[in-house]
Amino acid sequence: MTTRRKFLGSTAVFAAAAISTDALAQVVAGKGQFGASGLVGNLQGPTQSTVIPTSFKEAPQLAELVKAGKLPPVAQRLPAEPMVIKPLESVGKYGGTWRRAFIGPSDGENGNRIMASDKLLFWDFTGSKIVPSVAKSFDISADGRVTTLHLRKGMKWSDGAPFTADDFVFWFEDIYGNKDIVPAPIADMAAGGKAGKVVKVNETTVQFVFENPYFLFPSMIAGDTLIGGGQSVQQSSARSYGAYAPAHYLKQFLPKYSSEAEVSTKAKAAGFDTWVRHLHVKKDWQLNPEIPTLGPWRTTRPINTPTWVMERNPYYYVVDTDGAQLPYIDTIVMTLAENIEVANLRAMAGEYDLQERHMDLAKLPVILENRERGKYDVHLDLAYNGADTTLHVNMDYRADPLIGKLLGTADFRRALSMGIDREQLNETFWLGLATPGSTAPAEAMPENPGPEWRNKWSTLDIAAGNKMLDGLGLSKKDSDGYRLRPDNGKRLVIELLAVKAFMDWPKHAEMIAQHWRKIGIYGDVKESERGLAFQRMLSGDHQLFVWTNGGTELLYLYPSWALPTDVSNGAYGVEHAKWYASGGTHGTKPSDPHMVRALELFRGAAGQQEAERHKTAQEIWKIMIDQQFHIGICGQSPALMGVRLASRRLANIPGRTCIAQHCRTPGSAHPESWFYKA
Amino acid sequence: MIAFVTRRLLLGLLTTWLISVLSFAIIQLPPGDFVDAYIAQLASSGSAVSAEEARSLRELYGLGQPFYVQYGKWIARVVVGDFGESMEWRRPVIEVIGDRIWLTLALSFAALIVTWTLALPIGIYSAVRQYSFADYIFTFFGFIGIAVPNFLLALVIMYFAFTMLGASVGGLFSAEMTLAPWGWEKAWDLIKHLPLPAVILALAGTAQLVRIMRANLLDELRKPYVVTARAKGLSEMRTVLKYPVRAALNPFASNLAYQFPQLISGGIIISIVLGLPTVGPLLVKSLVAKDMFLAGTIVLLLGVLTVIGTFISDLVLMWVEPRLRHQLD
Amino acid sequence: MATDADRYAVASQAQLIWWRFKRHRMAMISMVVLAVFYILALGADFLATSDPQATDSRTSYIAPQPIHLFDADGSFRPWVAGIKGVRDVKTFKLVYTVDSNRRVYIEFFGHGYKYSFLGLETDRHLMTLKDAQRGEGIYLFGTDLLGRDLWSRLAVATRVSLTIGLVGVTISLFLGVLLGGLSAVYGGVIDTIIQRAIEVIRSLPAIPLWLGLSAALPNDWSVTQVYFAITIIISLLTWTDLARVVRGKFLALREEDFILAAELAGASQLRIVFHHLLPSFTSHIIAAVSLALPAMIISETSLSFLGLGLRPPAISWGILLQDAQNVQTLALAPWLLLSAVPVVLVILAFNFLGDGLRDAADPYG
Repeated sequence: MTTRRKFLGSTAVFAAAAISTDALAQVVAGKGQFGASGLVGNLQGPTQSTVIPTSFKEAPQLAELVKAGKLPPVAQRLPAEPMVIKPLESVGKYGGTWRRAFIGPSDGENGNRIMASDKLLFWDFTGSKIVPSVAKSFDISADGRVTTLHLRKGMKWSDGAPFTADDFVFWFEDIYGNKDIVPAPIADMAAGGKAGKVVKVNETTVQFVFENPYFLFPSMIAGDTLIGGGQSVQQSSARSYGAYAPAHYLKQFLPKYSSEAEVSTKAKAAGFDTWVRHLHVKKDWQLNPEIPTLGPWRTTRPINTPTWVMERNPYYYVVDTDGAQLPYIDTIVMTLAENIEVANLRAMAGEYDLQERHMDLAKLPVILENRERGKYDVHLDLAYNGADTTLHVNMDYRADPLIGKLLGTADFRRALSMGIDREQLNETFWLGLATPGSTAPAEAMPENPGPEWRNKWSTLDIAAGNKMLDGLGLSKKDSDGYRLRPDNGKRLVIELLAVKAFMDWPKHAEMIAQHWRKIGIYGDVKESERGLAFQRMLSGDHQLFVWTNGGTELLYLYPSWALPTDVSNGAYGVEHAKWYASGGTHGTKPSDPHMVRALELFRGAAGQQEAERHKTAQEIWKIMIDQQFHIGICGQSPALMGVRLASRRLANIPGRTCIAQHCRTPGSAHPESWFYKA
Repeated sequence: MIAFVTRRLLLGLLTTWLISVLSFAIIQLPPGDFVDAYIAQLASSGSAVSAEEARSLRELYGLGQPFYVQYGKWIARVVVGDFGESMEWRRPVIEVIGDRIWLTLALSFAALIVTWTLALPIGIYSAVRQYSFADYIFTFFGFIGIAVPNFLLALVIMYFAFTMLGASVGGLFSAEMTLAPWGWEKAWDLIKHLPLPAVILALAGTAQLVRIMRANLLDELRKPYVVTARAKGLSEMRTVLKYPVRAALNPFASNLAYQFPQLISGGIIISIVLGLPTVGPLLVKSLVAKDMFLAGTIVLLLGVLTVIGTFISDLVLMWVEPRLRHQLD
Repeated sequence: MATDADRYAVASQAQLIWWRFKRHRMAMISMVVLAVFYILALGADFLATSDPQATDSRTSYIAPQPIHLFDADGSFRPWVAGIKGVRDVKTFKLVYTVDSNRRVYIEFFGHGYKYSFLGLETDRHLMTLKDAQRGEGIYLFGTDLLGRDLWSRLAVATRVSLTIGLVGVTISLFLGVLLGGLSAVYGGVIDTIIQRAIEVIRSLPAIPLWLGLSAALPNDWSVTQVYFAITIIISLLTWTDLARVVRGKFLALREEDFILAAELAGASQLRIVFHHLLPSFTSHIIAAVSLALPAMIISETSLSFLGLGLRPPAISWGILLQDAQNVQTLALAPWLLLSAVPVVLVILAFNFLGDGLRDAADPYG
C-alpha cells in the first residue's frame, strides 16, 4: 500500500482536479428542460477501492477449466494487487451475452472503448480525476523530467504470460523505434522538442525520461493520446503506439528476432505482401483472436466478419469488492448493422442490450415511444465539449486570395458567427437539448475561460454583423441582398464543407446558410463524402469545415479540433500544422499573430505545473474565441454517443456517464462491472 | 452449332475483359485513394495517421504506381483466383465477399422466381382476357410496381413490419442463426427471411414482364394461324397455350439475361435499406472507402455473372427457337 | 360507316396515329396529367406559397393544414388557421395547436419571395398570406424538419426532375439513333463493335456504374454542373435500349418494298435513311422515348437516395425522398412521403402514354 500512498500523495498529477462532481451536476440542474424530461440522471459510476479482498471468485466456466486443469486457479491468474472496483449499485453475478451493434470494420472504436481499462492510467467516472488502471500508481519527479509507472506484481496477459516492464521496452525499441513500422516519431514522446525514452527500472517499474520538464505527461498517459490510448486503440487499425506491447507474442513477426527473410516468408504464406502488413494485422486485437491483451474481454470472432464476438479474459486484472474477478458478462456479440436506420430500429425493438454508439438524437421521440416494447431505459448523457457543430475556419486558404484574406480577418469570422441563429439550430437538430454558444469547453471544466466566453461573438446580432461586414468594404449588394466582392463585383460566396457523419451536418449547414442571408452572405453548402472532405482539408482546399470539436474539453490531450497542431488534420491550414509540429523547420508560419501566440502558449504548457497549465489553456481559449478561429454553434449535448439505450435487465448502469474523448465513453463507466439481473 | 457456341463464348470473354477494365477504371476514377479515406475514418474515430505514415501506407499499397501497372498486378492475380486483399477489411477479398455473393444470388434468384411465377400466368390472363376487369386491376398494380421506387417501398414496408408485426428488422438470418454454421436449419432460416426482400425486389420486374408477355401474346393471338386454329374448332385453352404462348416466351428468355443485372442493381439498394448481408452494402461501402480490390472484384463478379446469364439465355433461346440463331449473330 | 372508311382511306399517317391514340383512354388521361405537371414545372415559383429554401425551427414538422374557403359570413374568402408549436418536454415531440379563431387570409397574386420567370424578375405568387405572423403559412403538404414548406419544395423539385428526364432522354435519343442507325446501316465491324458495347453496358449492373461515375464528379462543381453531369451519366447508360429499337426497326424496314423502290430509283443511302426510314418509325421512337423517361426519373431518385446524385441545396424529387428516408420521418412526419406521389404519377403517366403511343405507332396493325 505504500505505492498507493505515493499515488495519492503526488501533487502535480490530477490534470483536471478542479472539476467536482457537484459542479457538473449543477450544469444539468440549471436547465429546466433536462430536469423535466427525467432522462438526464446524476453523474455516477463505479469507484475504486483500496481494500484488496482476501479470497477470489471466478466465472463458472473458468472454474470448470481450472478443475479440468486447463487453467491455473484464479488467485494465480490475478496480480498480487488486483485493481478493486466497487460497482455502482451492488456486486453482480456472472453470465449473459451483451448484444450490441457495430457498422463495419471501420467501427473498431466501438470495441476499443469497451476495452478502455487496458490503459495505463484512466479517469474516474466524472472524467475529472486520474485514477490507476493497468499501472497501480505513478509519480513524477520534482523537475518534471521523469515519470515513473508502477506496475502490478504478477499481472498477466490474456494468454497467461507475465506482463512486465520488458513489454514497455519492447514497444519502445522494437515497435516504436523501428522505422519500417513507425516512420516518424510522435510529439507525445518529446518534451521541448527533445525526444524522450523508456527505461526499465525493474520488473514492475518503468520510467519515461525526458530532457525537458514534461509535467503534462501523466495526463497524456491517461488521455486518449497516441502514447496513452492503450493497446486496443493504439495497436489496431495499423497504428503502432500505446507505450507497451506483448513482446513474447509479437517477437515472432519481427525481423530482429529471426531474419527479414523468415518474417517475409511468414507474411507471404499468410497472404500479406510485406511483414509490416502482416504485423499490423497480428498486433490488432480486433482482427487477431490470438493476440494477448489486458482488457476485460478478448476477440474470438474478428471485426471483419458479420459478427464481432468477444469473450471474457481469464487473466483480467480487476475484481469487485467481493473478490469476484470481472467482467460479469461472459460474451459480447456485436452484429453488423449495414446502416444507421437499421441499427436504430433494431435497438428500438430491444435487440441490443446497451447501445449508445450510432443512436441518433433526431430519433429520440421514436426511441422514447418504443421504451416499453423494447424493454429499455433511455439516458441522455451530456458532453463536455463546447460545440458538437463547429465551423472550423481555414486560416490558410489560398485558392482565392480575396476569400483567403476575409477568412483571415477576425471581424469577418465574428460577423459570420453573429449571423447564426443558434437557438433555431438547437431546437431543430438537438431538440433543444444543447447549449448554444462558442467552442469553449463546459463551464465545469478546469480549462474553461469563464462563463462570459460562452456568448462572446456567439449570439445572434444581425445589426452588429452587418456593420462589421460593411466596415470590411463589403457594403455593395446585389438585387437579392447578397454582398458583392470588391475585386470583381460578383457575388461573395462562402463555402461550407459538410459531411453526413455523427450528425446530419449538411442540414445544419443549409440552415446556417439561410441565416446568413440576413447578413448578406451567400453560404454555399458543399456536401461531401467523408474521405473526400478530409482529403480536401489536407490540401487546404476548404473554406469552412463543419465538424464537431469533441475532445477539446481537455485541450492538451486532444487539440486537433482547436489548433493547427496535428499534421493529419488540415482544418486550420495543414501548412500551419506542419510549421508547429516541426518546430518551425517545415510548413509556413501563420500570418495571424494571435494564432502564433496561441500556438506558443500551447507549446509552452507541457512543461508547466497543473494550475499554471490550466491558466494557460484559459488564455488560449480566450484568444481562440475572441478571434473565432472556430465558430461554435451548439454543444454540451447528448448528440454524440449521449443517447444511451440500456436494457432493463442490466444492473449497475449509471444514470449519467461522462461523454468526453478522454472518458472513452462508455469505458470510464467500466462495462465489466455491469451484469444481468435476470 | 458449335461455331455458334464458340463465337458466343469468345464474345462473352471479350465482354468479360472489357468489364474487368471498366470496373477497374471506375474504381480509379474517384479522386483520392484508399489511404485518404482511411485517414478520414481514423479521424472520425478520434485517431490520426501522420503524413509520413500515410506516405508509407501508400507505398505499401502500391497506390502511387500508374493505372496499367496496378491493373496488370490485379488482373494477373485474378486469373489465378487471387482477388487480392481488401484494404478496409484487412482480409482476402474472396473471404470478405464469401457468403455474400451466394446470398446475393439467392436473393436475385428468389426474386426471379417470384417474377416468373407471377408474370407468366398474369400476362397470359391479361392478354386472353384483354380489357377485362382483372386485366385492369393487374395492369394497375403492375404500373404501381414499376412506378414506386423500390427503395422507398423497402423502407416503408420495413418500418411497418417493425411497428405492426413486431418483425425482426433487416438481415437475412435471425440473430441466433447468424453465427451458426451452414446446415438445414440455417438454410430454412434463410428461406423464411427471403420472401419479403425478394417480393420487393421482384415487383418492378414482374410488372415489366407482365406487360411484355401481354403485348407479345396479343401480337401472336392476332396472327392468322391462331385464327385458323380457332376456326378449326380447337379448344381455347389449346389454342392459346400450344403455340402463341411458346412464341411469346422468346422475349422472356432473351430478357432473362438483362433482368439479372437489373435485379442485382435493385438488390443493392434494397439491401442497403433493409440491411441485408449481400454484396450490395459491401460494394457501396467499398466504393466510398476506395477499397479498390474489393469494389473491383464485386463489379467484376457481378458482370461475369451477367455474361454467364446472357450466355445461358442465348443457349436457351437457341434451343427454344433455332430460327433466331442468325438474328443473334 | 362509309364516311368513316373514306376518311380512314385518305387520312395522313399522323392523323391515323392520333385517331388510334385517342382510343387509348389511359394514354389520353396520362397526356393531360403530364401536361399539368409540365405546366406546374414551368410555373413552379409562381405556385410556391413560400420560399422553398427558407428555414424556421418554429415551423418544423407541421402536418398538412387545410385551406378554409369560406369566411364566417359565408363569403368566399380563403384563410388558414393560426398555428403554434411547443416541444413536449416528456416526449420531445413538437406539438402544434391550431387556433381556428385566428384567421390568416390568403391573398391571390400577392407578393412573396423574388424569383425570375422566363427572364422576368417578379415576386408575385398565386397564393400568399396577408399579415401573417412568424410561423404562420400555407402548409398544404406540411413542412419538413427544417420548417420548409413541402408544397413549395415539391413544385420546384418537379421542375428539376422533369427537366432532368427530358435533357437526359434527348441525349439518349441522340446516341441511340446515331449508334443504332450506324449499326444497322453499315453492319459488319461497326455493327459488331456497337453491339458489343451495348452488351457490355447492359451486362454491368447499373448502380455500381453510377456510383463510380458520380463519385468521380469533382466536389467543387456547382449545382448546375452536377445536374448536367448526372444527366449525362444517366443517359450514357440508357441509350442502349433506344439503339436496339432503332437498329431493329432499321433492319426490319430495309427489307420493305418501298425502300427497294427508293434504292432502284437511285436514292442515296443518306436520303433513304433520312427521307424514308426515319420518318416511317418516328412514332416508334417517340413511344420508346416516353418509356425511357420514367427510367431516367427513377435513376435520378436512386442516385440521390444513395447520396451520389444531386445534392442540397438543389431540390429534386430524389432529394426530397432522401429526406424522407429515415425512421423519424416515418414515425413523426409521414406526410413527407407525399413527395413520392408525383414521382409515381409521372412515371405511371409516361408508361401509359408510351403504351398508347406504341399501340398507335402502327396504325395499320
